[in-house]
Amino acid sequence: MFPRPFPETAIWRRRLYVVLVTGILIVWLAPLFAIILTSFRSTQDVMGGNLWGWPTQFGLVDNYTAVFTQTPMARYFLNSLTITIPSVMGVLILSTLAGFVLARYRFRGNMLVFALFVGGNFLPHQIMMIPVRDLMVRLNLYDTMAALIIFHIAFQTGFATLFMRNFIAALPGELFQAARAEGATPFQTLVHVVVPLVRPALAALAILLFTFIWNDYFWAVVLTISDTVKPVTAGLANLRGEWVSAWNLISAGTTVVALPPVAMFFLMQKHFITGLTMGAVKG
Amino acid sequence: MTSLELRQIQKNYGSYHALRGIDLSVEQGEFIVTVGPSGCGKSTLLKIIAGLETVSTGKILINGRDVTTTEPGERGIAMVFQSYALYPHMTVAENMGFGLRMAHRPKAEIDAAVLRAAKILRIADQLDKRPKQLSGGQRQRVAIGRAITRSPDVFLFDEPLSNLDAALRTQMRVELSDLHARLGATMVYVTHDQTEAMTMASRIVVLNRGSVEQVGAPLELYRNPANLFVAGFLGAPRMNFFEVTVAAVSGGAATLSAAGLSPLTVELTEAASVQVGDRVTMGIRPESISLAAEETASFAGRVRLVERLGRETILYADAGPLQCVSSESGSGNVTVQIGHASAVAADATVGFKVEPRDVYLFSSVDERTISARKSTITD
Repeated sequence: MFPRPFPETAIWRRRLYVVLVTGILIVWLAPLFAIILTSFRSTQDVMGGNLWGWPTQFGLVDNYTAVFTQTPMARYFLNSLTITIPSVMGVLILSTLAGFVLARYRFRGNMLVFALFVGGNFLPHQIMMIPVRDLMVRLNLYDTMAALIIFHIAFQTGFATLFMRNFIAALPGELFQAARAEGATPFQTLVHVVVPLVRPALAALAILLFTFIWNDYFWAVVLTISDTVKPVTAGLANLRGEWVSAWNLISAGTTVVALPPVAMFFLMQKHFITGLTMGAVKG
Repeated sequence: MTSLELRQIQKNYGSYHALRGIDLSVEQGEFIVTVGPSGCGKSTLLKIIAGLETVSTGKILINGRDVTTTEPGERGIAMVFQSYALYPHMTVAENMGFGLRMAHRPKAEIDAAVLRAAKILRIADQLDKRPKQLSGGQRQRVAIGRAITRSPDVFLFDEPLSNLDAALRTQMRVELSDLHARLGATMVYVTHDQTEAMTMASRIVVLNRGSVEQVGAPLELYRNPANLFVAGFLGAPRMNFFEVTVAAVSGGAATLSAAGLSPLTVELTEAASVQVGDRVTMGIRPESISLAAEETASFAGRVRLVERLGRETILYADAGPLQCVSSESGSGNVTVQIGHASAVAADATVGFKVEPRDVYLFSSVDERTISARKSTITD
């Protein structure tokens, strides 16, 4: 199942392996490296075509300060947080509730509901662009953060429910029987037994959702127009409009935007790894 | 006073009948052990009493109250599971107090109940540990402690010792009997281990294919099994069964004959209606067969295999034409249990003696016992 290590004696295979890994890493990280590099340069260097050479002067501090002082990035950043955090919380709550019921209660239509949650994931969200926009306009929610929060919750809950349902289904059934025999209500069982046991899964899911929602560009463009509502992804595109040639600022902005998901991952990576592998090793 | 009463409990899964009309009445303070082979419905029965499964038809009464449709938490039961079912994220004390906490009881009361249960089970020094840090036996004690904390009317045990190793199982068996004596509580215990049943039960319920085969005190069931199933199920090594023919009937006793067997005259129950020429099943426990000189022997056999266990010797003998119909080894060999270290070696041909009072007879029509009652005390 997992690749076995090459034997010590297979020198050429080992060398080839190192070369391939390095090559893939370079290809994988090149765009990120280019952006970070550009964010260090001054406008003159970028204008003058000095894209890969040694910068004539470092614009690191200038660029990153300018992103926050000369552009509405700070505002976009705040918008993104205001949209992403409630969305992640909403999805976590709804998917834990739905996952618990789907995993632990037998009722008519259980499989049908579960199939709908799973099946919904296979629909490209883009086909709903026009109806969703029209709906939001009619609800007077168009160009508000609420619109984005509602739709992120709606669209992510399908996948998240599948994820949570499978984790909860993998917990030993006797725990639930024991809780029931001791008089715990379903809600008490959820709060006192299920949630503490699926905490790694919740952490992993939170990181995934945070990244998905934070990085969303499509719905941000479809559902927002004002700067007071736009999240960072749509805001970055705005920068390009206003600062056609200021690639160093756009790069600095992009780097800043990429930081929260990365920070989130490093903060919770221990949970993330256990969360992703928990179902595989524990019955 | 009747503590638990089951009336005509039936459980069907679609067309499959897991339980077919179980009637049982348990007195306050009794220790009922339900035994049976895998799939006989014993765990289903326990879950039905607990309320974790619903009944298809029938009634459950606990202390005279009809709880057939009551939620498990309100039935006055507590259950101990085979896998212990401890909450891994809670300490021992939190595990034990869980039920009371869910019922929003005051903290002082919970602490007192937990401490009392922990003292009974001698785990008061483990209260701050997590289940992961405990050994199997300690975990099982916590699970039992969790049941005690709720002071239920009826304790339910679902094969609680089967995950423990043999030595610990023996120890916990003694502890459980002791606990039962101290609490004086009604307990229903499910197991497939007949030693647990024989040693702990006030009464044993033998279940087979969803029906009760027999209910009674352990020795009563052992000495006077109601039918062939109970006779074969209780006792290790298993009872030997032979197909024999009734050669004569006189004065409430039947004389049996079979190829290789010297005639045995066995007393019958009054209800038995046996005719000369009937085929019946004869059952003899391995410990009722003894070594004898060939001239006084009931049958002779060639020893195929000898198991020396120290305090006893088990022989598997090929008795020629006298073949076991369902024997321990499955080969038709007769199992003989000798209560000392015998010198008999494999391949020896020896005589075996059986006392007629130790012989069981079962009708070949309905498998009921037709030999006369035996005294439960043999000395």
